[in-house]
Amino acid sequence: MAIKEPQRANVRGQTASLTPHPPPERIVQPIFMARSPRRALRLRSLLTGLGAPGGLARTLVGAVAGIIGVALVTLTIGVVTTITHVENLSLIYLLVVIWLAVSFGRGPAILASFLSFLAYDFFFVPPLHRFTVDDPAQWISLFALLATALVLGQLTASVQAHAHESRTSQQRMARLYALAQVVASSTDEEHLLEALVQQVVQVFASSGVAATVLFLPDAKRQLVPRALAPTEGAALDALSLTGREQSAMASYALQHGAPVGINVASRQPHAPGEQSVYYFPLWSGHRVIGVLGIAGEPETRRLVTRLPTLPAVSSLAAVPQPSIDPQAELFAAFCGQIALAVDRIALREQAIHAEGLREGERLKQVLLTSVTHDLRTPLASIKAATTSLLEPGMTWRVEDCHEFIESIDASVDRLSHLVRNVLDLSRLESGAAAPQKDWYLIGDVIDTALRQLEQAGQCKGRQVVVDVPESLPLVPLDHDQIERVLMNLLENALKYSPPESVVQVQARVVGAPPELEVRVIDQGIGISADELELIFGKFYRGRQAPPTWPSADATVGTGLGLAICASIIQAHNGHLWAESRPGQGTTLIFSLPVPADRPQGALPEVAL
Amino acid sequence: MQQDEQRAINAPEQPAAEDAAPTSARGTGGVRVLVIDDEPEIRRAVRTGLAGANFVVEWAPTGAQGMDLVARWHPDVVILDLALPDMDGVEVCRQLRSWSPVPIIVLSVRAGDQDKITALELGADDYLTKPFSMAELIARVRVALRHAAQSSGGSRNDAQFQTGGLALDFERRRVTVDGAEVRLTPTEYEVLKYLALNAGKVVTHRTLLRAVWGPHYEDEGHYLRVFVGQLRRKIEPDPSRPRYLLTEPGIGYRLQLIG
Repeated sequence: MAIKEPQRANVRGQTASLTPHPPPERIVQPIFMARSPRRALRLRSLLTGLGAPGGLARTLVGAVAGIIGVALVTLTIGVVTTITHVENLSLIYLLVVIWLAVSFGRGPAILASFLSFLAYDFFFVPPLHRFTVDDPAQWISLFALLATALVLGQLTASVQAHAHESRTSQQRMARLYALAQVVASSTDEEHLLEALVQQVVQVFASSGVAATVLFLPDAKRQLVPRALAPTEGAALDALSLTGREQSAMASYALQHGAPVGINVASRQPHAPGEQSVYYFPLWSGHRVIGVLGIAGEPETRRLVTRLPTLPAVSSLAAVPQPSIDPQAELFAAFCGQIALAVDRIALREQAIHAEGLREGERLKQVLLTSVTHDLRTPLASIKAATTSLLEPGMTWRVEDCHEFIESIDASVDRLSHLVRNVLDLSRLESGAAAPQKDWYLIGDVIDTALRQLEQAGQCKGRQVVVDVPESLPLVPLDHDQIERVLMNLLENALKYSPPESVVQVQARVVGAPPELEVRVIDQGIGISADELELIFGKFYRGRQAPPTWPSADATVGTGLGLAICASIIQAHNGHLWAESRPGQGTTLIFSLPVPADRPQGALPEVAL
Repeated sequence: MQQDEQRAINAPEQPAAEDAAPTSARGTGGVRVLVIDDEPEIRRAVRTGLAGANFVVEWAPTGAQGMDLVARWHPDVVILDLALPDMDGVEVCRQLRSWSPVPIIVLSVRAGDQDKITALELGADDYLTKPFSMAELIARVRVALRHAAQSSGGSRNDAQFQTGGLALDFERRRVTVDGAEVRLTPTEYEVLKYLALNAGKVVTHRTLLRAVWGPHYEDEGHYLRVFVGQLRRKIEPDPSRPRYLLTEPGIGYRLQLIG
């Protein structure tokens, strides 16, 4: 996402809007809505003829066309009158006026109306070749022509203007709709932001926009680029905040909520000239939530109608444009949409955070309920055994004493197991248990895990087959944590398989890039396919009918073991999954990355 | 125990507080064990258990009182909890080691406790993670006593070492497993010998690396794991489930005493 070092911008005119800024509400309006009341503008454009879409150039062309048109009609009438006499031939002028109104707007139509009036008077109303009129009746006829031409021209022009307006507003709607579609349909935030800035470049390319970058503030209110379009180019470089002016302008836009921009000399050899760089604040409610930077030809300035006039960049554009540029309006709407999208992303992040908190709360509740039950049960049996043994006046047989003591021993193991799991989980959940990795051989870890289980009496009478090749590499892992994973997986395997069956532990290096895959395989009751994912959730206990062999109820799970494993393996950038066929057994597999930079040397032989 | 007479002379006036060691076991000339732990129930259980194995047990609830008792009562073994109310157990270990060679077995609550390793590096002889079984504790006390007797008596006349089917002949530098000779490289032999001389005790990675390869290799724990893996393939009947050369996770190795 890094923007390349910007081309050294040659600042020619500092045009930043450094006007004192009104409160946000007032600023939003002028920047992103039309900048002055519509009606006044309409009136003015009616009078000057400059308000028609297309501007001055089009009006000038229209004027020329009007002169030629009127001349042609005059010639035509002159030719016709030499042949025959036709009443009201002056009506032909109206055709020119209508054509001009349709093609060039009001101004040329008005011009043509007056020209027609004068030409008809001059060439066809006696006395000929003079502007005076003998017959008062001719006056009426002449003014009727003028009035008709004027009214017809204005009516036609305004119908045309309406049609044009509705066409452009339809286009605008279509573009906004397309943008809204992008916002609504996107689920991936980075992709959404990219799509939005791409839309800006596409839609406003005609207004001279060459590059767009969306900057959002980070936790320290520093602006960082979050999306950009296109992905490279000189225009993009001109926006980079590594430039001092650019950085200052962007933070100004963020802090003061006002757009700023400058013209810089483009250093592209094939496209000499000027480039404009602008930073627009994105408003959401009362806050500026980001800054949209655009760079392109100097006419991009038109998109920010509130900016004071810039130093002349070209003779035509230098004339202050009082019109409401529909592109500027569209741009404002785009900014609104982008702000909405950014807001939506922020809300979604908050929602995820809140969901995490709720999940944490729920976890605490479940933990409390579960732990309370799991704590009380062994405590109750210990208390029962000890109070029996301590009961004054009771003499127990040696076998009974043994029975009590064994019950105490089993309960203590259970408590100890529970406490260990709960502590592990809380450490992992709080993030306090980042893996302390070192380079280990998985064989050592498997061995120590099995030894612990043996010491706890959990492998009693069971056959556990370890299959670890000699050639396995050193792998970075937290010995304690991976040992805990293996113990949990082995405990599960032992618990959910019949006592006479074999539990296998296999380790292999597979795939490219290489991964260490450790499999714990049992021949037990298995897990149905729909449960394969669920078993890694907290407090999940299998829906399978409980095992039927006699030793099965000796160990009662907390439903935390696999959740702990999943957290640990995730913290090791590995994967943990299960494969199973009900009735035939379960294989739990975890994989750990085998980095290429692992130590591959050896200790030297020592001289004696 | 040639030091017993000396102890009798310096017998403590009044070792500790209310629930001192059972008088029945006192003064019988048994082996003395000092427990430094502030948890009354742990002390009670440990005392009862050790007394049952014919040890004379004394206790101290704080590090300072514990060190005081080591000076006055001359225990044969100290059992030291690393979590004490008045001072860090590691500090007690460091101070004790500066003036007393008494074997120290540290107790800690967490498996991956860095303090434990520090204590071992500072000269503690062994460690146990709570909760532990009484049998384990008694076995560790006995190993510690044996090593203390060897090093202080200076009379290690054993030219042989044997654990289970693994035997070392120090004079001839010969290693046999179940009677069959095993060919080890000189370095492998040195590692095994060092572990055999400390048999039953945990030896930290750094200690072993320093002893065999020298101080420059102290941080090469990962290569030591590979090395030990090779050694196991020569001396263990099933290298994936070692019987003799056990891994103490995160700490080091222990050559298990069998039989």
